[in-house]
Parts: sequence; structure tokens; C-alpha cells
Amino acid sequence: MAYVIGVDVGGTFTDAVLDDDAGTVLAAKSPSTPPDYSRGVLDVLELLAEQLGRSLPEMLADTHHIAHGTTSSLNALVMGDVPPVGFLTTKGHRDSIFIMNVEGRYLGRSPHELQNVLGQDKQHGLIPKRHALEVTERIDRDGTVVVALDEDEARAAIRSLVADGVRAIAVSLLWSFRNPAHERRLRELIAEVDPELFVALSSEVSPRIREFARNATTIMSTQIGPGLRDYLSTLESTLRENSLAGPLLVMQSNGGAVAAAEAPATAISTVGSVLTGGVVGSVALGRQLGHRNIISTDVGGTTFLAGLIVDGEPVRDTTTVINHHPINVPTLRVDAIGSGGGAIAWLDAGGNLRIGPHSAQAVPGPACYGNGGTEPTNTDANLVLGILPERGLLGGRKPLSLELARQAIDIRIAKPLGLTVEEAAAAIYTVQNAQTGDLLRKTVVEAGHDPRDFVLYAFGGAGPAHCAGYAAEVGVDEVVVPLGPVASAFSAFGLASSDIVLAAELSDPTVVPFDPTRAERNFADLEQRVRDGLARQGVRFETVQVHREIDMRYTMQLAELTAPVANGPLDITAIEAAAAAFEKRYAEMFGKDAGFREAGIQAITFRVRGVGVLPFSPELPTVAEATGPAEPASRRPVCLAAAAGFVDTPVYDYRELRAGHVLTGPAVVEVPTTTVVLPAGTTGTVDHLGSLTIRTAPAGSPS
Amino acid sequence: MTMPIPGSEQFSSRPVDPDELARSLPSSLTVHTVDQEQIDSLDPLTYEVIRHRLWSVTDEMGEALKRQSGSPIVTDANDFDFAISDELGQEVQVGLYNTMLVGAVDLAIYWTLRNRADNPGIESGDMFLTNDPWVGGGLHQNDVMVYQPVFHEGKLFAWTSAIAHQPDLGGVGLGSFSPAAQDVFSESLPTPPVKVVRGGVLQRDVADLYTRRSRVPMLVGLDLRAKIGANNVGAERLHALITQYGPDTVKAVMKRMMSDAEARLRDKLTALPDGSWTATGYQDQSHEGDRNLHKITVTTTKTADHLTFDFTGTDPQAGVINCTYAGMRGGVMLALLPILASDIPWSAGGLMRCFDLVTEEGTLNNATFPAAVGRGPIGPAWLTGSLIAECLSQMLDRDLELGRNVQATCCGTWDTAVIAGLDERGEQPAPFLSIMMEPMAGGYGARPHADGIDTGGLFCIPMGRVPDVEMTEFLYPVLTLWRREVPDSGGPGRHRGGLGASLAITPHGTSVPMGLVLASAGKAVAQNAGLSGGHPGNSGLDVVARRSRVAELLAAGRMPSELEEISDALEPAQNYASSYLAPGEVFAMTWQGGGGYGDPLTRDPDAVARDLREQKITAGAATGVYGVVVTDGRPDATATAAERARLRGVRRERSRVDGTTGGKADLGSVKRVDDNLVESGDAVACRHCGEVLGGVGSGERLTLAVYEGPSTDAGPQMIADPADYVDTPIVFRQYSCPSCWTALYSGVVPADHPDGAATIGRLTVTTG
Repeated sequence: MAYVIGVDVGGTFTDAVLDDDAGTVLAAKSPSTPPDYSRGVLDVLELLAEQLGRSLPEMLADTHHIAHGTTSSLNALVMGDVPPVGFLTTKGHRDSIFIMNVEGRYLGRSPHELQNVLGQDKQHGLIPKRHALEVTERIDRDGTVVVALDEDEARAAIRSLVADGVRAIAVSLLWSFRNPAHERRLRELIAEVDPELFVALSSEVSPRIREFARNATTIMSTQIGPGLRDYLSTLESTLRENSLAGPLLVMQSNGGAVAAAEAPATAISTVGSVLTGGVVGSVALGRQLGHRNIISTDVGGTTFLAGLIVDGEPVRDTTTVINHHPINVPTLRVDAIGSGGGAIAWLDAGGNLRIGPHSAQAVPGPACYGNGGTEPTNTDANLVLGILPERGLLGGRKPLSLELARQAIDIRIAKPLGLTVEEAAAAIYTVQNAQTGDLLRKTVVEAGHDPRDFVLYAFGGAGPAHCAGYAAEVGVDEVVVPLGPVASAFSAFGLASSDIVLAAELSDPTVVPFDPTRAERNFADLEQRVRDGLARQGVRFETVQVHREIDMRYTMQLAELTAPVANGPLDITAIEAAAAAFEKRYAEMFGKDAGFREAGIQAITFRVRGVGVLPFSPELPTVAEATGPAEPASRRPVCLAAAAGFVDTPVYDYRELRAGHVLTGPAVVEVPTTTVVLPAGTTGTVDHLGSLTIRTAPAGSPS
Repeated sequence: MTMPIPGSEQFSSRPVDPDELARSLPSSLTVHTVDQEQIDSLDPLTYEVIRHRLWSVTDEMGEALKRQSGSPIVTDANDFDFAISDELGQEVQVGLYNTMLVGAVDLAIYWTLRNRADNPGIESGDMFLTNDPWVGGGLHQNDVMVYQPVFHEGKLFAWTSAIAHQPDLGGVGLGSFSPAAQDVFSESLPTPPVKVVRGGVLQRDVADLYTRRSRVPMLVGLDLRAKIGANNVGAERLHALITQYGPDTVKAVMKRMMSDAEARLRDKLTALPDGSWTATGYQDQSHEGDRNLHKITVTTTKTADHLTFDFTGTDPQAGVINCTYAGMRGGVMLALLPILASDIPWSAGGLMRCFDLVTEEGTLNNATFPAAVGRGPIGPAWLTGSLIAECLSQMLDRDLELGRNVQATCCGTWDTAVIAGLDERGEQPAPFLSIMMEPMAGGYGARPHADGIDTGGLFCIPMGRVPDVEMTEFLYPVLTLWRREVPDSGGPGRHRGGLGASLAITPHGTSVPMGLVLASAGKAVAQNAGLSGGHPGNSGLDVVARRSRVAELLAAGRMPSELEEISDALEPAQNYASSYLAPGEVFAMTWQGGGGYGDPLTRDPDAVARDLREQKITAGAATGVYGVVVTDGRPDATATAAERARLRGVRRERSRVDGTTGGKADLGSVKRVDDNLVESGDAVACRHCGEVLGGVGSGERLTLAVYEGPSTDAGPQMIADPADYVDTPIVFRQYSCPSCWTALYSGVVPADHPDGAATIGRLTVTTG
């Protein structure tokens, strides 16, 4: 018997999923325990052990590995809760991180905020200017030293940082990815001053052209590295004391894990780990269900995350935005597109109904929670419409206040608009679904795809009540709501199903066609680094896959796209094939003939991704077959469309449903952790894994 | 300037009365519209769903344009925009990129409806192209608009449009810009609306006629396709929307979006006191060889819920620094959208109903054919926007809540520097041409409650960006010695203006001199004015270091950081110049930060100490301009009080007071005017000391202390010597309270600049 455990440490809850190699899947949930998140991890592991009927050490002794995703580093960056960090850079270029290419003023802001130019600022700078020091040195684009490193000046700079209380230093020099000699020498000089200082070099953290993002990436990695190191070493030693034999892995933004001991050196790669669990889970479930194109939507109380899976592979990005800074970290593309169940409905100065982007957050939460919230939210509208019952979720401990929900909607929306409370609630529901559809469409279209070619997965507490609505708005006609044992912890299921993925990259900008031997040398170096890294993970892999890729661009055009490169000896044919793949992808993304190929193609960054496939691929277990038709547990009036009004609607208890049951909309399915809505004109089928698949009923069928 | 050309007047488009335009259309062109009853009967749910969908359609158009474009001006600098308009061309939803273009789009559609409906006709499947700034669509010939009538069941339903700046469309100068142009015939040929797509098919003859003129025809051809693609996306999604909700409902939403925006702006205006505010600004030099100042002046009058912008008194068109009516209107929108409409959806067709423009033909911002207008958007239109912003800020400053959007003037122009030469770093030498994009990192103006944003960007292209140094060095044979924020470049004030920045490059990887073409402004006079006593931001300065030591310094292991280290032959470059940069030489440019807000002597000493620590200001400015004595990183309260008293004493010593003040007012119950002044009953008084400076009545001068001195008295940010650029005497002019000596106005202006004592703190002014 061996277990794999996925642990997802969120801001509010820590979720865990345990899977064995004999068809058992268990899930548990426990409150997160900031600032020391490791206590919450132990708590949730205890809960799993209880369910197994074993002690924690017994369970951990039989655990092959724990894959762990954490939001703490990201929170630390967003909240600015990081220790002072020093920055050493090339003389004349310190202000790169203050000028922020101007885009630092608006990157990562919502359309609503973008229009309000006077509401923007650059107050989110990485470090104070006095901690950013210049050293005399210069390397040019060919890697040639133009000015040698002034070591005396550098020593003085390091000493002044240390004197100012700095214990971690980020080093990022111009063109260091072409010639890292000066950065490496600076690390030696720092060690001479104090060998205990934490140091990160941009040529190692992010050897990619464009200094602003590289500087920011290196600094952020330095800001979270020491904290991550301390947290993981505490957690790992506690787990070892409790007999964990297998490795502790940390999820990365790229959708794969890395050994805990390896993570702090490139801490920035773990920063999006909690965002990606749901996408990885969707890939795993998609494999079981035979879906290759998936829009993955994870809707919680305060966030709406959308990811894409195309042809069985998650859509990747090479850059992400954190705190309005562009950050170089290979990542699964996850867009935060809205504000979930807590999104507030309001009237603008023109008396028009608007929803979000403000959210009632966890506190006070929707008005119906009775925690003092007076702003009406999506959740309040759903309660008024009968989608949610007054007793709250099946698994919830607290009833909801219909009275407070009605009151909030009445005062803020219905009265000013001259509507009844029910009409106003129906308007909120419809507008929310339509606008989510608009934003979701933007995510899919901007990635170069047509939403009609996708199946949509909806999970998280607040998604399934709306998913059929927003899927219809974008033209998706099949929606899967993953339920079964992992309904409440789908992201942790994703973690449990992840492999180990390491990436190494190097910018070596050049013009296509380029010298194959130089490119082969780049790839060979990167591949060696990736294989060495995989060897250090302390895990036995079933297989190791290595993927080569190049980020390319048309000379006159900004957009860089990643093109795969065939493995094996690199020759001119392989380079041309990569360029052709780039051109094909460009045409998909930006339209046929959009590429200005006459200007030439440049290869910018070479990258190798190594996947260590673990001898474990958790699958959801099958559920029991239905022996008769599904019977509603109750009926209640529910309003799903303003025009139809309240309709007496069957309500099913998910716990009573079995594989093969087919429900006809309008219907509501109550699951302990969420509520699924089947609008009129749709059917819901429970599949062999317990997921509910919602499809538009064929025309002419009874509804 | 050549003589006016008879027959050219027919290309001057102006705003229209939509009903009159509709009636004038030929019977062959039927338009789809809805009546007020249909608009009124919209339910809030449908309205919001379709409104958001229209936003999403424009967003997708912009995305398509940006992604398909081949031009870094589009992809990096975001100098483009797009719109959806109703059947008559009124803008329903516009993009967030170059906000000046908003003032030009509808003008081109009106003109097209008037002049193309009969012949060649406006039909389904057509797209028009224009780059005629008199017709509209863009502000200069490099702005090319491609726009499409969208039909539903045979009726003209709407228009989609996409505009982008093209890198070169011919003319004598690189990039279609000639610093010595006498008239438009030295520039790119303006093309009035031509049908570039007919029945869904790109007309190859028309497309060739258009691209043939360019030095980069393939790139221009690519952008043409990008714009066609963006329009196709717009039409496709509009049709889907019509199918889902019906044409009448969609149209009713479009009309209501405009009337909603209009009503909300009118409500905002109604809440403010009626009054007039005047602002006057300058461009120094009009073309290569000129040494004059060229004035734009505007009086903004707010009556009830309406604004009138009166430009009477603006100088005649001159050199290359002109724009057409479209540019003037675009300049107005650059200020109006963010300042008055930041919280109102940008249904520009509705917003533009709230103002009128009064202007004389043949002036700098309403130039008649064949004036050269190559610098239209970045010269006169931009200045127009800065002056409108100054007026609107004075208007809003009276209201604490609306005053949140008050802002001193931002970086007031774009410093153009074009380099072109031979890149010898590869196996084969290759020619290159590039515009230095760094001046995109200008500073923002300070505000009543916040400092200006340091290197915040350009107010007219809110989403612009600058490239990384590494990308520039990868593409072009230069070594960037520095790219940095310039301490003190933000205008001093109670809140400091945002810093501007500086760039220095030297050729690296080329053995032959590269061409260097310059076009800029704001060296002799301030284009980044302060407000409420705040000082202007820095002057710009471009310098070519001839006989430079840079090669020797680098070889010796030294990285120079000051021009003085590099050369003893520092040559301030004229605003308009065709020059060169040889290997071993250095070109350095410093562009503008934003203006300050309020008297710098009232700035929080802790903020001054922080600025000093963060190198936003120098030690000299901390004491000399802000009067703050900083010891060990902290302000010394006693020494600071003494220094500030001394500086106020200096103002007393050097100023002249005409008239007498009226004693102390009761500050108990007063109305705010700005940072320094209040209205107490029928008197205007100093908010700081209560001294009555005059009556509220119109046309009456306040009793103020006046000082005029050299421009460097404004502070160390005045890095250029005005005498190097213009013959007109330039002064630092300051008005202060003659009782407590708080600064009420601080400007760097020509000596004959209008007397501020007649306008400061007044709701109504008499002009002329």
C-alpha cells in the first residue's frame, strides 16, 4: 500500500486529497493557520489519517510523496510582507526597476481600473532606492566585456547594504545571460563579506533578455527565498519526525512539482502554485473522460480563475504579472477574470446595474451570511432566487438569512430601479452570467482559440450555480462539474496528480536561420541542467521526458511565441521546422497573414522542460451504477430566468445520485460543498466518476 | 507658408447636427435607428448585458489590431485606437489607447456620409481608408483610419473603426517627419476617404496607391491587413449581438450609452460653480531655424451643464507645429476623458455633446490646408490638451470631492529623436532606423492629495511603454550609458511633480556616423506647468557631446555618469534639427517631468526628507527650494522653520505689490478656491493667513505680490538656457500673498505672458 497526498494551502482553507494505488480517494479540509501555515498542513494530514483509521506516522510512513501547493509566498509579495533585500546592478541602469518600463503603472489592472488613469500609481515599487546600488561594469549584447567589474566599488556597495540590515541580495546585470562572469564574481565578493547572505543571480534565476522583468524576477525571488526556505525546512522536519519517508514536493507555476530542498533557490517558480492545481486536476480528469480541449473555471468566494487546456496540454505562458510587475516564470496560463460568489452588485452614477469587480471578501462576506455585510452579492441573489436553500449548503454549518439578502438587494438595487426584489435578483444572476461569458471569451480568444471547440469544467464553491449560464454565453455546449470525493478539493486532487517538472532557459537572441551547433550547445547545456536537477529530486521516475522549445518573434513584432523543437541532433531542418511551427502558431493566435515574415524571424530564448513522470497517476474511482431513475429529494420554487419567473423545480441530493442518472432542467442539485444549476433546456448526466455533465438538450426534446 | 489653396475647404470636417446629417443622406442609403420610446423602455438587465458585450467587442477589436500589427509604434507604444459608432458615426465605445484619436474618428465618418454616400456609395462589405487630418480619423497623416459601415437587413446600422500610427508614409523626411517642412507638400500626402475594401474584397489598386508612398510598404501593408482584421472582428461580433437581441434593442443600448455618459457628465458639471478659466502655453520654435515662441490660449467657460472652449487669441499657424480642427478636438478629449470621465463609460459620442469649440481658422490648433501638420498630435494637440487640463483642474479644485482628479500639467510633449545608420555587428552590415522610445517615460503632474507619478508615462497614451535597454541594444548598434530618473525634474510643490528621465547613448558596433533627427519643445518655456503655486517641472534638454572621451573612459574601466566627464564640447541641440552622431560621440536627452501642486514651502518636511533619501530631489533643492534642512536623514524642525521664514523673506524682498490688501477675513466659514485661496463672503482671501486680497467680483485684479526673475529661480530643474532657443525674454514669474508670502502661482513663461493677477482665484475673467 502506498499513498500520494496533495495539499493545497489557501488563504482560508488547507485542502488535502489522498489517493492510494487501490482505488481509494479521500479528501479533507481544515482552516489555514497563518503565519505558520505548517500547522494547518499537519491538521489536515491528521484528518486524512483519521479517515484511513491509521495514525499520522503510520500514514506518512506509507506515503510515496506529498505534493504541496502554497499561497504564502504570493501573499507575502502582494502584501509587501517581505524582508529587506539589496539589489546590485549595472551602473547607469539602477532605475530600470523604478521606471518599470512605464507599464508597471498599469500592468495587471482590470479594465475598470485602466480607464481611471488618475487612480493609478507606482507605489508598489520592489525596494527603496537606497537598497538598489550600482556597480561599475558593462557587458554588451555579444557578451563582450566593455568595462571590467570594479571590485573595490562592489565590496563597498555590499558592505553598505549589510550595514543597512540587508540579509539577502539580488544581483542582476545587463546582458548577464550572455556572460555571467561579473554576476558570479559578485556572488564571491558577497560571500567574502558574509557567507550567510542569501544571494540570487539573474543569470541563474531568469537568464532571459529584457532587464526589467529579469531584475524584478530576481528581486522577488530573493524576497521570498529565505522565507520559503525556513517554512519548508520546518515543515519537512516535522513531517520527517512523523515518519514521512518519501519526498516533500512543492508545486510550481509550470504545473509540475520540485523537491522542497530545491525550491528556495528559484523560489519565484513556486509562486503561482495554488493557482495551477485546478488546471492540473482538469488535465488528469480530462484524460479519464477523454476531453482534450477544456476551459477550466475555478470559482471561489472572492476569485474566478480560468485556465485552458488545448489538445490535452495546459496552455503555458512564459511570463506572468505579480504586483504589477512582469515576472519571468514559465507558468500555466491562469487568468483571474472576475470576483466569484462574493462579487458585489451596485448601481453606478447613471443608475445602471453593475457587478464587481469589488467583492465582499471573506469578511464580511455576502449579506446573507449575517456577518454585517450590507452589499448585495451574487450569493445573495442566488438565495433570493431559490438556487440556494435557506439552510445553506448541505455540508455547511450555518443557515443563510433570506431576510438580509432580500433587504440588501431591495435597498441597493430593487428600489432605485423600481423592480421587485425577485426581478432585481434575476437581473443580477443574468448579468453575472453574461459578463462572465464576455470575460471568459476574452481569455479563450486571446489565446488564439474558439470557445466552441471546448468543454468547460466548473469547480469551486461558487462555479456550478452559474456554469451552465456562462458556458452558453460563450457557445460551449458541454459542461462538466467534477463531483465525487474530490468535489471540495479539486485543486488538491490536481496536486496529487502532478509530475515533477523542471525548466531551464537561456536567452541567446539570434536570427533564423542560425548556426545549429550553437543552438545544440545551448540545448545540451540546458538539458544537462534539467537532468541534473531531476536527479537531485530524490524520487524514482517511471520515465523522464525532455521537451525543447524556443521563444521566437518576427523581427518587427513584439509578440514572442514558444515553438517546440524536435529532440535529437539539431540541424538546419529542425530549425526550419521550429520556425514553421512558430509561424503556424502565430497565424493561429493573431490571424492568417498577420506575421511580417519579410522582416525575418528571431530566436530569443531557448528552453528545456524536463518532466519526471511519477509512478503514480491518481484516478478518480468509479461510483455505483444507478438501479432506477433519480428521485428529487424535494421541490421548491426557483427562478433561473426573469422571463420564466419562479418555477416549481425539483431539487436533487447529490448523495443519492448514481452513475447513469439523467436529470432534466430546470433542476437544482445540492452537493455538500456546492450547488449545481441545470437551466431549462439542458440535461445533466451523472457519469461513472460521479461528475455531472450538463448538455444542451437536443432541439425538439421535451424540457 | 504657401498661400491657401482654393478648393481645399471642402475637406474640413466639423461636428454635425445628427438629425440634419440623417436628413441629408440620399434615399439610396437607409439608416437603422430607434426612437426615444424604445430607448426609454430598455430594462436595466438587457442594457447592462449588451453594454458590457459592446465593451467586449471593442476590446477584441483592439486585441486583434494590436496582435496583427507589425509596427512597434502599435505593439510597444500603443499609439492606436478603435471605436464602435452608431449609424451616423457618433462614438458609442472607444478604446483606452491613444485618447486623442477619440476626437477625430467621428469627424471622418460624418465627412464620409456627406461626401461618399452618393458616389461611390456606402454599401455593405465596404471599408474606407483615410489619413487626411482635415477630414479626421487621425491627427496627422501617419494616423491612418480604416473604417467600415455595418449593415443589417440593408440598413446602415453602425460603424467600426481602427486607427494606428504608421511608421512612414513618404514625404521628404524619415518617418514622414521633416523638421524643416514649409507646408504639407513636404510631408506625407493626405488621402481623403477611399474605398479600400469593396464587397468584402481588398481593392488591390487602392491598397497599392496607399502603400506605394511608404519607405516601409510591407509593414504598412501588414498594418492595413491588421486594421481590416480588427474591423472584421467588430462586424462579426456586432452581427452576433444583433442576432441574439434584435437590432432595435442593440441600437437602443448604443444610443442610451451615449445619452447616459452625456447625462452623467452634465450632472457633474451642474454641481460645479459657473465660471471661466484661462490657460496659455507655448511651443518654442516652429521648425528648423526658427527662434520664436508660438502661443495657444484657451478660455474655458462653464455655464450650467455645458463647457465652451474658446481658443480666440491663439497664434497663426507656423512651421510644422500645427494641427487641424481634429487635433484640437483630440487635445480636448485627452484631458476631458481622464479628468472628467474617469468614472463614466467612454461613450465619447455623448461626452462630446457637452462642449463647444470656438476657434479662428488658420491658427496653430485649427490650421488650414496646406499647413504642415506632421507634429500635430505631439505638438499643438498635446499642448491644447495640457491647457484644457489646466482649466479643468482650476475648475475642479473648488470642489474637494471632484478635486481628486485635479492634476498639474504632465510631461507636455514627445521628444522625438530618430537615429538611422549602418549596423555592422552581424556578418553583413545592415541599415537600421529607430525612434528612441524612452521619452514615453515622462512624469505626471502633482495633485492636491498626491505627488505626481515618477516616470508615469504620457497622459495622452495611458498604456504606453518603453522598451528594455537590452532589446534596444540587441536591435540597434548603440550602447546605453544610462537610462535613469532625473532628481529634481519633478516640479516642486506641496505635492511634487513626477520625475522625468534621461537617456545617454553612444554608437557601438558601427564605424560610420548615424543620422540624428530631432523634434521637441519645452526647452525655453515650461510646458509642464504647476498649479496653485506649484512650480513647473523640468525643461527638456538634448545634448550632443562632440570630441567626446567616452571610448577612453570605457577602456580605462570607467562608466561615465555625467556629461561633463564625457566632453568639454557639449552642444545643446535645437528643438528641430537634422544632425548626426559619430562613433565615439554621445547623445543625451532629458525629457519632462510633471508640474508641482501648491507652494513647495508648505510641503511636509518628512516628505522632503524621504524624497532626498530616495534621490527624487537633490540636497540643494531640499534646502533651496523646499526650505527643509535635513540632518542625518531627518528634517530639523527648528532649522527648517528658520529657512522657510528666510525664503519667504526673500520673496518679500524681491517682489512688487500693486495696491493694498483688505485686512483679515473670517476663515470660519469659507468656500475653497484652490490650495491657497478661499472665498469669504464677497472677498477672496488667503487660506493660510486670512488676508483679504480682493473682492469676488469679476474682472477685478487681486492684490498680489509679483516677482519676475531668471527662469533658473524656479529651481534646479531648469536645465536648459532659454537664450539658446528663442529670442523672447523668458522669466520665472511668481505671485505670492503679500501678507504671508505663500506662493499662489509659479511659472516659467515669456515676459509678455498674460497677467495672472487678473485671473488667479476668479470664477469669471474678462479676456481680450
